[in-house]
Amino acid sequence: MADQAAAGGAGTLIVPARRPFWKRELPVGWLAFFMNTPSMIVLAGVLAYPIYYAGYLSFHQVGLAQMRRGIFPFYGWQNYINLFEDPLFWLALKNTITFTAIVVTVEVVLAIAIGLLLMQTSVWTSRVTRFLMLLPYAVPPIANGLIWSFIYNFKFGFLNRVLLTTGLASEPINWAGHADTALVAVAVPYIWRTLPFAVLLVYAALQGMNRELYEAAAVDGASAWRRFWHITLPLLRPIIVVILILRTSFAFAVFEEVMAITQGGPGDATWVSAWYGYKVSFAPPFNIGMGAASAYVLALIVGLFAIAYVKVIYRRTT
Amino acid sequence: MFKPTPLGRVGLHLANLLVILFLVFPIIAVVIGSVQSEKSLQADTRAILPPEYTFDNFRVILTQGEQKGRVFEQATYLPDNIKAFYGAALNSLIVAVSVTLLTLVLGSLSAYSIARLRVPWTVWLLQINIAARFVPIIVLMIPLYVMFRSGGMLNSLWGVIIAQTGFLLPYAILILAPYFETISHELEEAARIDGCSRFGAFVRIVLPLSTPGLSSCGAIIFIISWQDLLITMILNSRREFMTLPVIIASLVGDVHVFFNLLMAICLLALLPSVVLVMMLQKYVVQGLSAGAVKG
Repeated sequence: MADQAAAGGAGTLIVPARRPFWKRELPVGWLAFFMNTPSMIVLAGVLAYPIYYAGYLSFHQVGLAQMRRGIFPFYGWQNYINLFEDPLFWLALKNTITFTAIVVTVEVVLAIAIGLLLMQTSVWTSRVTRFLMLLPYAVPPIANGLIWSFIYNFKFGFLNRVLLTTGLASEPINWAGHADTALVAVAVPYIWRTLPFAVLLVYAALQGMNRELYEAAAVDGASAWRRFWHITLPLLRPIIVVILILRTSFAFAVFEEVMAITQGGPGDATWVSAWYGYKVSFAPPFNIGMGAASAYVLALIVGLFAIAYVKVIYRRTT
Repeated sequence: MFKPTPLGRVGLHLANLLVILFLVFPIIAVVIGSVQSEKSLQADTRAILPPEYTFDNFRVILTQGEQKGRVFEQATYLPDNIKAFYGAALNSLIVAVSVTLLTLVLGSLSAYSIARLRVPWTVWLLQINIAARFVPIIVLMIPLYVMFRSGGMLNSLWGVIIAQTGFLLPYAILILAPYFETISHELEEAARIDGCSRFGAFVRIVLPLSTPGLSSCGAIIFIISWQDLLITMILNSRREFMTLPVIIASLVGDVHVFFNLLMAICLLALLPSVVLVMMLQKYVVQGLSAGAVKG
């Protein structure tokens, strides 16, 4: 630009001084490229390459001996065949699905109920609830798991103390030690810790709703239940879809609570997919190739939710 | 929204009471569990409150096992990892602060280019970041372990910092990009007319104006990093590189589980993040909802 103006020969034009190169404006595309380079390097190294590498490992024989030598012999589909022939893998998958179904259903219902409760600002206890709502979010998952393993303890657990003192139970109950109750015993702490997030989203959506709609409906004589069913719920649908997808994909990877409370037990009643991947890879016999194969299956399942999520978000914004 | 009837008010109070009880129940349990001895835990298994209170659990942790107090006087065995409390707390702090700073710097650079520089591939980048948020940690940890092992990067704090930064970066970008979009274009234009470069306008105008967004993002990243177990546990097996969650997890499968001691160390580990979340509640709420919906 500056050169052109000078060459034009219009002597009266004030020619801006040519900036030194480090002050010159980069084309937008290059600026975007440079601004993203640091993130791209980190994401490529810690996300993209490991995902590819997990695929590589899943087709090779990788154990302690192979890692010591640094050579991974090609194994074909053998890791996957071993995986699919392992009844524990299927049990873990089944448990994960049951766990996720319990967690997501309870969370969506509770989130809507508590979200509506928080809207009742004329009741002072609602403000207390709102203040405390974020508390579980602050508790580290592993600490949460351990606290609940103390709560559930058969001999001197806190829950049995409360139940026995209040007379709700006459005998101590072994919550985490029974195969029938163990999965639920793991689900409750997980729900406790992750509920704030779902409540928050519902509450934000409720606050954004149009009051006039409710007032009009009330004037028309619609009962509270009908107002909820015909106005609130349809308006909440987009956020419920978001919660469903996010909570499902994260609950699928539950780990810390299982590790702290049951370690997969009693028997293998609470083996979940992430625990399976961890145990297969990092406990004897350290079968990392098979662990990578199981992680890949988990990633594929969760990947489907990710695609659904991107679709939902983009339909909403465009 | 509507004035509830007197009866309805009673019902709402009751409902709130139930929710509040559910929310504080584990906190009450951890506090009560941490202020008594193992003996009193096992003596009366029906009493909610302990017969006597003691701070010996905290004393033994905070003096790294040197002062045992009355509770642990006769204990022949104490988990060794209890003695590493300060080192672990320091490691947790170093990792969480570094990860937060790194993620904020890298994330804001990327988020700005996604929000403001209208280049086609930045949208695509955003979609990749959204998808990346879904990758379960265990899926990454298996290949990362092999990679770090062959590169000799196991048992180091910076290895953990890099891994956590990579894992949390997409989340930071998702929180920051919509925030940058809300900053007014006019101020940026004005700065550019005054001779600021595009990048200069980002550093001098957009970033200072985004302090609330950066705080939201920083608070959330700090909390997630402070809470992380899996990444650090798999990459670091030596005690001097463990963080608090890893120390806690190592006590789970120990030969003898002292629940009173465990509850004390859990309380010490959750206290910083509880204080942080309660103090920065507004920012945490904004960040969480921005990261989930506006992405």
